Amino acid sequence: MPDQPQPTDQVTLNIDGQEVTVPPGTNLIEAARKLGVEIPHFCYHPRLSIAGNCRMCLVDIEKVPKNQIACSTKVAPGMIVRTRSEKAIKAREGVMEFLLINHPLDCPICDQAGECVLQDYSFRFGTGGSRFEGEKVHGEKGVLLGPHIVFDAERCIKCTRCIRFCDEVTHTSELGYFNRGDHSIIGTFPGRSLDNLYSGCTADICPVGALTVKEFRFKKRVWFLKNTASICAGCARGCNVNLGIDENRIWRMKPRENDAVNGSWMCDEGRFSYQRYQVDDRLMRAVSAAEEAAGGGRDLQAESAWEQAAARLAEIARQHGGAAVAAITSGHATVEEQHALRELIQRVGGTRIALPVHEHGEDDDLLLRKDKTANSAGARLVGGANIKLEDLIAAVETGKIRALVVLREDVLEGLGERGKKMREALDFLLVLDWRATRTAQAADLALPVTAYGEQDGSLVNFQGRMQLLRPGLRPPGEADPAWKPLYEIAARLEGAPFEVPKSFREAFRRAVAQVPGLSGLDTPALGKAGVSIEPALTGRGGPSIEGRS
Amino acid sequence: MSPEAYRPLLLKNIHRPDSASLAAYRESGGYRALERALKEMTPEQVIEEVKASGLRGRGGAGFPTGMKWSFMPKGPGEKYLVLNADESEPGTFKDRLLMERDPHLVLEGFLIGCYAVGCRHGYIYIRGEFVYPYRILMKAIEEARAAGFIGKNLFGSGYDCEITVYRGAGAYICGEETALLESLEGKRGMPRLKPPFPAQVGLYGKPTSVNNVETVANVPMIVEMGSSWYAAIGRPKNSGPKLYCLSGHVRKPGVYEFPLGVPLKELIYEHGGGMLRDLPLKAVIPGGSSVPILTADKVDVLMDFDSLAAAGTMLGSAGVIVMDDSVCIVDALLNLARFYAHESCGQCTPCREGTGWYVQILERLERGEGKSSDLDLLVDLSDRIQGNTICPLGDAVAMPVRSYVKTFRDEFQYHVDNKRCLAKPSPVLV
Repeated sequence: MPDQPQPTDQVTLNIDGQEVTVPPGTNLIEAARKLGVEIPHFCYHPRLSIAGNCRMCLVDIEKVPKNQIACSTKVAPGMIVRTRSEKAIKAREGVMEFLLINHPLDCPICDQAGECVLQDYSFRFGTGGSRFEGEKVHGEKGVLLGPHIVFDAERCIKCTRCIRFCDEVTHTSELGYFNRGDHSIIGTFPGRSLDNLYSGCTADICPVGALTVKEFRFKKRVWFLKNTASICAGCARGCNVNLGIDENRIWRMKPRENDAVNGSWMCDEGRFSYQRYQVDDRLMRAVSAAEEAAGGGRDLQAESAWEQAAARLAEIARQHGGAAVAAITSGHATVEEQHALRELIQRVGGTRIALPVHEHGEDDDLLLRKDKTANSAGARLVGGANIKLEDLIAAVETGKIRALVVLREDVLEGLGERGKKMREALDFLLVLDWRATRTAQAADLALPVTAYGEQDGSLVNFQGRMQLLRPGLRPPGEADPAWKPLYEIAARLEGAPFEVPKSFREAFRRAVAQVPGLSGLDTPALGKAGVSIEPALTGRGGPSIEGRS
Repeated sequence: MSPEAYRPLLLKNIHRPDSASLAAYRESGGYRALERALKEMTPEQVIEEVKASGLRGRGGAGFPTGMKWSFMPKGPGEKYLVLNADESEPGTFKDRLLMERDPHLVLEGFLIGCYAVGCRHGYIYIRGEFVYPYRILMKAIEEARAAGFIGKNLFGSGYDCEITVYRGAGAYICGEETALLESLEGKRGMPRLKPPFPAQVGLYGKPTSVNNVETVANVPMIVEMGSSWYAAIGRPKNSGPKLYCLSGHVRKPGVYEFPLGVPLKELIYEHGGGMLRDLPLKAVIPGGSSVPILTADKVDVLMDFDSLAAAGTMLGSAGVIVMDDSVCIVDALLNLARFYAHESCGQCTPCREGTGWYVQILERLERGEGKSSDLDLLVDLSDRIQGNTICPLGDAVAMPVRSYVKTFRDEFQYHVDNKRCLAKPSPVLV
């Protein structure tokens, strides 16, 4: 039986007439949240130290003469808290009024409008008017604090979350608090720039529009964006993210909270990784070099492409044996895609599948991983990486491999002359990719697949946590998740007949049914936070975000 | 009480030639109390003696010093005593006098405090602008160290104590004990949230007690003469001598020493020589600029913590500022509000934004552009600032604003109605 919290480990108090029981040490904001009572706050952030400077969370506690701030006040047995007493309301309204006297109230042009906490609280907790008739304190606008962050001093409410983030999370301390009174301002220290690897997070936690992300600023009003809860595919961490999508385009990526993976943060590299998918050279339809050489149309119907691919693979396997067919899988591919590739190769009689490694930089002590693929752990789990890439290339060069299926990898890029020779040594090169890479252009047959944000899929991060990619974009042309063409080709080969999965969920079930360690899983179980499936996969080491708060 | 009836205890040495020297201090019995404390008393006994004396902190809050020291954890482990020599309350200049004229008295009291709380390295945080007192203090420390009163094995007792002097950069807020600690740690001086209180988590995260200069200057006499002797000075719960800083429109401004509870009227009219140029008394700030104001008819009050609290104001730092009827009360409040708006550290919303707002309203009134509603607004803003800020700086401006407007509402209203000042310009200034 799992350990149940003992009654002595809990504190019962009363908030706005309702009893609530929480662990000792809980602050009043969190205790109230448990009851569904919102105590408004600006400077409090559960992953940063308590500053207590905004004073928005002032509450009235029985037997305490002065209002107390809920963020720094810990629960006590029998405590009676009133968030809606006249005393608390008056203080809160006062704070709202104070905050707005020097705020520019430029909501119509502010990027934060629509998701501004000050705007929301003004509506919900303000008085609806102001008695201020003087001259506002003006501040600089559009100050570039670093490569990604723009500062609008007038909008800043001095909550200092950004300063604390740089002090406590990245430990880089680029930001400080300067001047006094209502001329106080945040800024970078002389000679410094807000250029840490996680600088975008300062804009995420800014409750107003003072810090904005340069790449998103003035691009889109946030109320047009539809948020898709997905996973960043920028490295093996798999940070949980929300994709802000409109007009079939990702406009921004923001971290989505997951204690087990990324806390509330994400790196700048991942944050802007969606931009690499916004290219002109997408593969829209299947492309056959043979058709083109024969003077026919360059593009093929998908059905014909699958037929051709199956025929060529079968032919080479007949002539040279199944071992002459091999594959290169990808850490960029989903578990379902990697599994479909494995099934295809096995059905032809092949055994060799290689997994290119994309590692650069170093792991840091926060989130960044040097493995820049989101699913290399998944590839190893699926069993789709049983040979080194170098050995596979050598086998091609010596003629042992005559047909190669390449999934989401531009394997010829960077190989130079050796790549040319490798290509010439192959009788058949089948490539599945989302853009016309060098390898896709050299292929006998290139099949279009979906890019990031266009498909469902499961990924296994470096910690052994299986998480779901979710689509928010419509794929262009005939691009499909790669598992579909791979299964379609496999179904056209000789062997026991099988049903090609009709949906992502079917493809997922097919993979988990056959991969040890995944059995019994279904997509709903993964939810938005994922599940830990294989702790042994964490063997490559590296700290987790857990416990950092 | 006639000026001759009381023999000063805190200021007893200041008129001696070379009063800041160790030799002069030793001649008057200096460092005997430290020797006695170290050789004859345990730290607990010193704390008990100070407790029994009823000494209340002279920085403004009036918290019992012995009790404050008793909050410090007992036993081994680093802990600190910090001397708050950042005197910056407008109208207050008593600590400077002690440091300039009798630095060894301050050092002796501080060292006894260090011994009492178990501190082996005390810090003196002195206001940066106090260049002259700083030099004198440093010289006194050198002398005391050479004499073996600072450093290793003081008086052969086995007790070691070092002292470091730190010069602040000159911010009013650094007189607030937690902002002082931040500044002392090399950070921007901004108050810390309490709890934890400094006695639990103070300087460098260690238990710390912060005491005012005048407070520690009382300690040697308590140790030497005993708590009963000390407690007999002044009034019940308001014991001991007190330095009163008298300034403004009096003939003889200065620092005066009397027991706690000297009548304010006596202070002004007898010791202070009465009103400058004989203009009528208009108002008195009894405890430094941050306390509520008293009108002329309310000066029949005793200058101690409890009597002034009962009169609706505070003893504070005992910075008595006297105003005659040439003073425009709106202008006086504007002057004060400008000071606090400038000195607000900017950390918490009500103080940061509210102090600037005060200034704008008061400037409007002074320009003759004010409205009647501005007077209510000033009071309402005070209600929204006071008690809702991290540190007492918000209260320090909210209290006088409320008090000035409520007490002199007619004069504020005169500004609104007549677009000019009720008060006549001071003949001194003319």
